[in-house]
Parts: sequence; C-alpha cells; structure tokens
Amino acid sequence: MSLPGIFVIAVFIVFPVVDAVRISLYDIDVLSDIETFVGFQNYLEVFRSPNFGTVLFNTAIWSVGSLIGQFVLGFVAALLINRNLPGMKLVRSILLMPYVVPVIAVALVTRWLLDGSYGILSHSLQQADLLAHNQSALANSTGAMIAVIVANVWRSFPFVMIAYWAAMQGIPREQYEAARIDGANKWQELIYVTLPNLVPVTVTLLILRLFWTVTYFDLVWLITQGGPGSSTEHWPLWIYQEAMGFFRFGQAAAIAVTMSVTLIFCWGLYGVWKRTGGGK
Amino acid sequence: MRSVVDFLTHYGVTLLLVLFVAFPLTWMVIASLTPANELFTSPPKMLPSTLTLNWYRETWQASDAPTYFMNSLIIGLSTTAVCMIVGVLSAYATTRFDFPGKNLFLGAALASYVFPAILLFLPLYLILNALRLTDSLAGIIVAHIVVSFPFAVWMLRSFFQGVPRELDEAAWVDGASYLRTLVSVILPVCMPGLFSTAIFVFVLSWNEYLFASVIAGSAANKTITVGIAEFITSFDVRWGNIMALGTIATVPVVIMFMFVQKYFLKGALEGAVKG
Repeated sequence: MSLPGIFVIAVFIVFPVVDAVRISLYDIDVLSDIETFVGFQNYLEVFRSPNFGTVLFNTAIWSVGSLIGQFVLGFVAALLINRNLPGMKLVRSILLMPYVVPVIAVALVTRWLLDGSYGILSHSLQQADLLAHNQSALANSTGAMIAVIVANVWRSFPFVMIAYWAAMQGIPREQYEAARIDGANKWQELIYVTLPNLVPVTVTLLILRLFWTVTYFDLVWLITQGGPGSSTEHWPLWIYQEAMGFFRFGQAAAIAVTMSVTLIFCWGLYGVWKRTGGGK
Repeated sequence: MRSVVDFLTHYGVTLLLVLFVAFPLTWMVIASLTPANELFTSPPKMLPSTLTLNWYRETWQASDAPTYFMNSLIIGLSTTAVCMIVGVLSAYATTRFDFPGKNLFLGAALASYVFPAILLFLPLYLILNALRLTDSLAGIIVAHIVVSFPFAVWMLRSFFQGVPRELDEAAWVDGASYLRTLVSVILPVCMPGLFSTAIFVFVLSWNEYLFASVIAGSAANKTITVGIAEFITSFDVRWGNIMALGTIATVPVVIMFMFVQKYFLKGALEGAVKG
C-alpha cells in the first residue's frame, strides 16, 4: 500500500539528492553531454571563489534578519489572536493570507512600491531625504537587503503565528490560575507562564524556519536578482546562477551539497538537543 | 481604566498588523484598476480618480494569459490528484502498519520537506532534461509532485492518526480488505482533512515559480506565475498588466484557503509542529 509512496520518494527525492552529490564530483559539458570526473575540484573552486565570503555574509544577514522579524511578528500576532475578543477570528483569517499569496505577486508589488519614479514607498523615502531624487530603494545595497527581508517577513510570519498560537492553546489553564493566586500580573504571567511553555516549540520552529529561509530562492530572485551588484546574492541564488547562468552544473552541485551538509549539521545539533532532554 | 487601556492597546496593535498585511495586496488591486495615465504619475498618487477594467481586458485578450491560467489549472489538478492518491495510501499504511523501512520513508519525506526546492532543483532539472520532459506540462507536474508530496503525506497522517484504530479493526473483523476499510470507513470520516490537504497541494502548485519557470520553455507550457514575470521585458515593465494578472492569480487561492483554513490549521499544526 505504501509502495507508490516509496516509489515517489525514492525516484523523485532520494535519487536526485544522491545524484547531486555525484554531479558535484564531475565536470559536465551540457553541449556535448560529456561528463569528466574531477574529484573535489569543484569544491575547491567554490571555496576559493571570491563570491564565497560575500554569499555567506549575505546569507547570514538575510537569514538572521528574516528569522528575527518573523519570530517577533509571529509571537505578537499569536498573543493577539489568542485572546477571546470580538473580531479576532476574522483577524486570524486576514493575518494568514500572506502564507498563500503567490510569491511572484508579493515580489512584483514590492518592486512596484519601491519603483524610483512611480512607487509610493520610494517616493516617501525620497521626501524624507533618505533616498536621492527618483532613486529606488532597491538601487542601494542596504535598501535592497532590507526590502527582501521585510517582504520575506511579511510572507512567512503567519507560519510562526500559527505554531505559537497552537502552543499557547496547549498551555494548561491551571498554570495561569496558580500564577494569579500567587498575585502575578499580566506581564508576570507572560514571562513566568507563557514564555517557558513556548521554549520547545521555539527551538523546533527555529530549525524549520532556518532551513526554509536559508534555502528560499524565489522571493529574492524576483525582487533583486541578487543585485545591486551582488549585495543580495545568497546561497540558493548562487546555485541558480552557476547552473542556469553559466551552466557550471558541477560547481552548482558542489555549492548545493555544501549547503545541505551545513544544514544537516544544524539538524544534528538540534537532534542532540532533543535527545539530551531539551523540550521536555 | 486599566482594562480600557489594555483593550485599546490590543486593538491598536492588531490594526497595525492588519494594515501591514493588507497594504501590499490592497495596493496591487488598486493599481490593477487604475487608468494608465494615473498609474504613471510622479509623484505617485494614493488613490486614482476613476477606476477602469482596461488592464484586465488587455491582459486577458491581448496576451497568452488564458493559456497560462489553463496550464496552471491543469498542472495544479494533476499534481493534486497524484499527491492525494499516493499520499492517502502512504499515510494510511504508515499510520496503521509497521513495516521495514517505514521510518526511513517518513524521514526521507520529512527531510525533503525541510530542505526545500532549490536543493532538489539541479538534479531534478537534469533528470527531466534527460527524459526530454523539459518544456512540457508533464515535467512541471513531476516537479510539483516532488515539492508537495512530502507535505501531503505528513498532513494526511495527522488526520488519519486522529481516527481511532478500533474503527479499522471493526471493519477488518467484518472481513473488509485493507483497501476497502480505507475507502469506505476511514476516508469518509476524514473528508474535511482530505479536502483541505487537496486545496493546500493545489495552492502550492498554483503559486510555485522556480521549477515552472525553468521547465516551461515555450509560451504554450507557461504557468500563470511564469506568465506574470513575462510582462517584465528588457524594454519595459508593464505594471498595469502585472497587477491585473497578479490579482487574477491571487484572488482564487485566497478565497479557497479561507474556506478550509480551519481544517488546514489542524492538519498543518499536528503534522509540522508536533512532529
């Protein structure tokens, strides 16, 4: 009964991953279809590439910025919808929307809002003297990075909100009652009851969202193409450009494998944390 | 007094968050209804003086938009069909039986769920290329199955786990086969879960851009998300058309999602967070 499922997983997921590792050891000429074994040559080229440091730095900024943004907003939003006040059901529906809007729509609206001549946001920034006349916020490297991070936070905070909200609903009522008997006010309840209960879900969420953010391609590609210069070029973009821009499949695979290994290492750390009794 | 302040803070922050979420989408819809001469004014205006459906008319009639729309529909429905049939079988098998390799299977499905598209992108592209499936709807469907299948399995599992085993056992005692039990006992109980998983898979496929853009070559095989990007050429960016097609692509999925969000929340949470 599970054979079709195993087939799908093996053919479309396990095989491609194994194949990526193989490709990373070859030099592939797409035109003549000739594959030459080059060992770790591709990896060496990747590590020696002048791009390596920049991409790593951009990936770090992009990931940390996105994670902080979505966790803060997600947490605040979860607190808001967790209270039984009129209208909060509707609010929950609205706040979930970014999660299903096509990325391409988000990306292009971002570009439109930040257009140098016709975009309302760039125009406001120009009025406030934060941008030169007719310049787009996407034309400078800091502005572009902030734009892609904010767009990503917009799109991904609902996931965090839902996870926190579910965790909050799982906190036993008695803990709050006990705190109230001890004379705790709302802040103390938040700090001594709510937050400690959220530690396990936070760690699980962090690892999920970290993987997702580090490997997330579409949004940045569609807003900046990695520019200006290479100021928003992060890991997945580098893979894409090596592969589809220069047809250097070997190098692209080597970068992809390096990225996976790094992520698996993080996953391993998470596993150790879980096994040593974290979250219990 | 304190509770009034508390109340106002709550709604104040809520309002800010709602505005943050609604602003870009509202802007997209307004821009798609703004006449050309007012869309391109510098400084930009907040609201147009009149509304027009010209962008929609032009996008729908003068471009390949209807083809893109149909392609997205075909790809989305095919992806959903395969993911649901195979996903239901896998989810049922892994929630009811022990078999060798079960954990490996679930682990592999989970791994691809946390290592998204770009990691599978390269080998998948080369495989599809070798199979001559690039520049075809079938190629995009295969790629979308890869993206959605693991999610479908985990979400369906969480719904099946909610059904007591006694139901299955009662059916088995009555002599029903495993497949018969699944179809006539378990599935009817899980209808809301099946429905919301199907919609979620459809929405994932409908919104996907990366694979679709690389695999679709000619206009006949482009999806709606790839079609939107087509309005950016090296000469100009046709914002009016983009905003209209963007709205056309967004509204259906948002409406669908609103219908099933209650069930979706249950499945997604149990599948993704607790696991």
